Amino acid sequence: MLKTIKKFLGLLGLGACCLMLAPSGAAAHGEKALEPFIRMRTIQWYDVQWSREKLNVNDELVITGKFHVAEDWPRGVPKPDATYLNVSSPGPVFIRTERYLNGQSSVSSAALKLGGDYDFKIVLKARLPGRYHLHPFFNLHDAGAVMGPGHWFEVAGDPATFTNQVKTLNGDMIDMESYGLANGVAWHAFWIALGSAWLLWWVRRPLFLPRYKMLQLGQENALITPLDRKIAVLMLAGVPLFVFGAQAMTDRQYPNAIPLQAGMDQIEPLPAAVNGLVKLKVQRAEFNVPARSLTIVAQIHNASDQPLQIGEFATANVRFLNPGVGPSREGDKDTLIAPQGMSLDSADPIQPGETRTVRITATDSLWQRERLDGLIRDADSRLGGLLFLYDANGQRHIASVSTAIIPTFN
Amino acid sequence: MSVTSQEIQPVAAAHVSFGPPWYLREVYKYLATFAGLTIIYVGFRLYQGVFGVSTGLDSSEPAFATHWMRLLYIELAVLAVVFPALWGYLWFTRDQNMDAMSPKEEITRYFTLTMWISVYTFAVYWAGSYFAEQDNSWHQVSVRDTPFTANHIIEFYFNFPLYVLLGGSAWIYARTRLPLYAKGISVPLTLAVVGPFMILVSVGFNEWGHTFWFREEFFAAPIHWGFVIGVWFALGVGGILLQQVERLTELLNKIEDAA
Amino acid sequence: MTSTDLEIAQPYTGEKARLSRAYDYLILVLALFLFIGAFHLHVALTVGDWDFWVDWKDRQWWPLVTPLMMITFPAAVQAVLWTHFRLPLGATLCIACLLIGTWIARFFAYHLWNYFPINEVLPATMLPSALVLDAILMLSDSVTVTSIFGGMAFALLFYPSNWPIFAMFHVPVEYGGAQLTVADLFGFEYIRAGTPEYLRLIERGTLRTYGQVATPLSAFCSGLLCTLMYPAWWFIGKAFATTRFVQKI
Repeated sequence: MLKTIKKFLGLLGLGACCLMLAPSGAAAHGEKALEPFIRMRTIQWYDVQWSREKLNVNDELVITGKFHVAEDWPRGVPKPDATYLNVSSPGPVFIRTERYLNGQSSVSSAALKLGGDYDFKIVLKARLPGRYHLHPFFNLHDAGAVMGPGHWFEVAGDPATFTNQVKTLNGDMIDMESYGLANGVAWHAFWIALGSAWLLWWVRRPLFLPRYKMLQLGQENALITPLDRKIAVLMLAGVPLFVFGAQAMTDRQYPNAIPLQAGMDQIEPLPAAVNGLVKLKVQRAEFNVPARSLTIVAQIHNASDQPLQIGEFATANVRFLNPGVGPSREGDKDTLIAPQGMSLDSADPIQPGETRTVRITATDSLWQRERLDGLIRDADSRLGGLLFLYDANGQRHIASVSTAIIPTFN
Repeated sequence: MSVTSQEIQPVAAAHVSFGPPWYLREVYKYLATFAGLTIIYVGFRLYQGVFGVSTGLDSSEPAFATHWMRLLYIELAVLAVVFPALWGYLWFTRDQNMDAMSPKEEITRYFTLTMWISVYTFAVYWAGSYFAEQDNSWHQVSVRDTPFTANHIIEFYFNFPLYVLLGGSAWIYARTRLPLYAKGISVPLTLAVVGPFMILVSVGFNEWGHTFWFREEFFAAPIHWGFVIGVWFALGVGGILLQQVERLTELLNKIEDAA
Repeated sequence: MTSTDLEIAQPYTGEKARLSRAYDYLILVLALFLFIGAFHLHVALTVGDWDFWVDWKDRQWWPLVTPLMMITFPAAVQAVLWTHFRLPLGATLCIACLLIGTWIARFFAYHLWNYFPINEVLPATMLPSALVLDAILMLSDSVTVTSIFGGMAFALLFYPSNWPIFAMFHVPVEYGGAQLTVADLFGFEYIRAGTPEYLRLIERGTLRTYGQVATPLSAFCSGLLCTLMYPAWWFIGKAFATTRFVQKI
């Protein structure tokens, strides 16, 4: 057995040495594994921004953004009756100090409405130094984590200086990092000591073979002594008395203790930000697999009073831009942007009141890199996204895109 | 090479020797195995500490393939060698003349069987306690995007097979070296080995459930109850204990008492 | 204990006594890791979430589910250790092993690897319940008496045993315009990807017929279930502890 173990250890050591390559930072949190139809047709994120990239321990980081809840919610995904706006980070390297949905403070879960528009703000406080990749994301009950765009942050400083002081309704300031720890450890130590004493009381005696033999010989009464019985009686009376006594004292110490709070936040959607003055109806959508290119033929109606140009198509955090339309993206480090990714059959603006059939093409390797080209293998082969249109004054209009998708393989 | 009871004669009572007494013949190997296993498990945990957050958060990253998938392949390769090697060794060195076994030799072998089962339960500890609960902890940090997460690669694809290996070894040891276990198949020993083996099989149910049923990390969810039922069979160790004490008390009656 | 007690309980002398003691130690080491591994897995996958997180320890489901799932292995182990060895330590042994495994995981996994503060993941204790369960079995030598009184005590003692540890986490704070407990605040502030708030199975259902005094009702309900669970698991333990050999499997 020893030889085998030695061989095993040797092999394992060798393997471990081979693996000791310098790690590069992970840039994502598994979002690519979620089926494209869920990423495209549930939470449609946009305008996500971060207040800063470099922080010190205790500094605040504010993440803001907007999202549209797709109308064309996939049949296989439970409706968003219980959702939680979360942050994907490598554990609590930041703490979340505030969170707002549509300007309303929210610390619990909430239901979202299909077709609803929301904005959010999350305030984080740096806890541990390091370089981290963070995303806002939604936990959707029974559906999984739908990630928003991610970003790198660098936290410097001394972790020992981190503080998280909270004022209770009793007026006490408590340190969340250590609150209740010493008390909890002391109680556990006390009971473990008592339990260990009981175990040692028995295991110091000859155990299995002698006791089994004594039982076989009918001498079992000798195995429990009068002193054992006295101790057991003492324990039987003493432990409950002590427990209930400690409980009564604790009740007196914390007379205002309340139950855990289990309510849900009630958040109403904002006035419609998507599908307002621009109406869109898709006539056909094709995905050219080898070209990594989506072509949408859509009828667009402009009900605004200004001519509009199509500037961007966004789906599952990937943004295909029509160069020269919309705000400048110069210097934008977002790796999910295809700056030249969109082309149109006509560059002419859609005039006020006009209904025009437009051919929109979104082409980039991001389809493949983000594993969105797998949409043709989904059981629910439909596509969703947001189309952004701009007038000459920079005013933005958003229309949601929802369509079945036809693959082409040549 | 086969071993017979005649070849392994009981060691004479060693009054002056500093070595272990005759019934603890394998104690050093036992302790060395504990030490070896501890090094492996602690090594895995340290590896997770170094590479978990830096390379283990996204299965689509090249660094994940380098640091985690490669580890998985090494584990599987090692297990593919160790399984047949250890079980083959135990089988081919079986005792083919157990009728000639002396009481002292049989007692010694019961001690060795107990050591095998003890090593098995040590592996059950790491698989059932530490790395199992750590699964919940790790999946708060990473979003589960593959069946082969940085903790699953160690828990499901190394720890589980390893305790199956050690439990199976205990079973084969008893079957090939102890008369009672050779004449009949021990029900409790079989339960204690096969039941926890089914935990490994339950990984399939778990992964299916996490893909199509529960997307969150609800540990007490029904998709995990296959593991729970499997681990109940560890209670078969109580039956092994009773089989052993019954036989050992008989054997002790057959040997002369020494000071 | 007097020296006579030892002599009475020891039919072996000399080398046989040393041998049997060596066997004791082997079995104790075996049992230690067996029960840490097996019982901890059972508990983690049936009541784990309530035990992992301070913001899951509610007054309704936590005191109901925890004793119910934790009386299992103690009953099964008592069925062997008491029946065949007159050792009244099965429950205490299982719960002590569970706590060893739990504390190691909370410290090395949750805290050291994944940065959660330990106070957020403090485990509950069932040691007082286990001590009483062992004492009742020893004094009564009866499965029936232990089922009824031991099972009930096991459940009833759970919440008051843990209240001195966790009451302070139920102090209210005002946060974001709402009233929260400190425990709820841990769940909000210390980010966890896989356990969103809505996943908590707390304070739901229909155990509210006693107005706002839900805990005693949950505890008594758990007590009733434990009186049934105890004998069930006693017989499961007995069944697994078969000494049968068969010719075919």
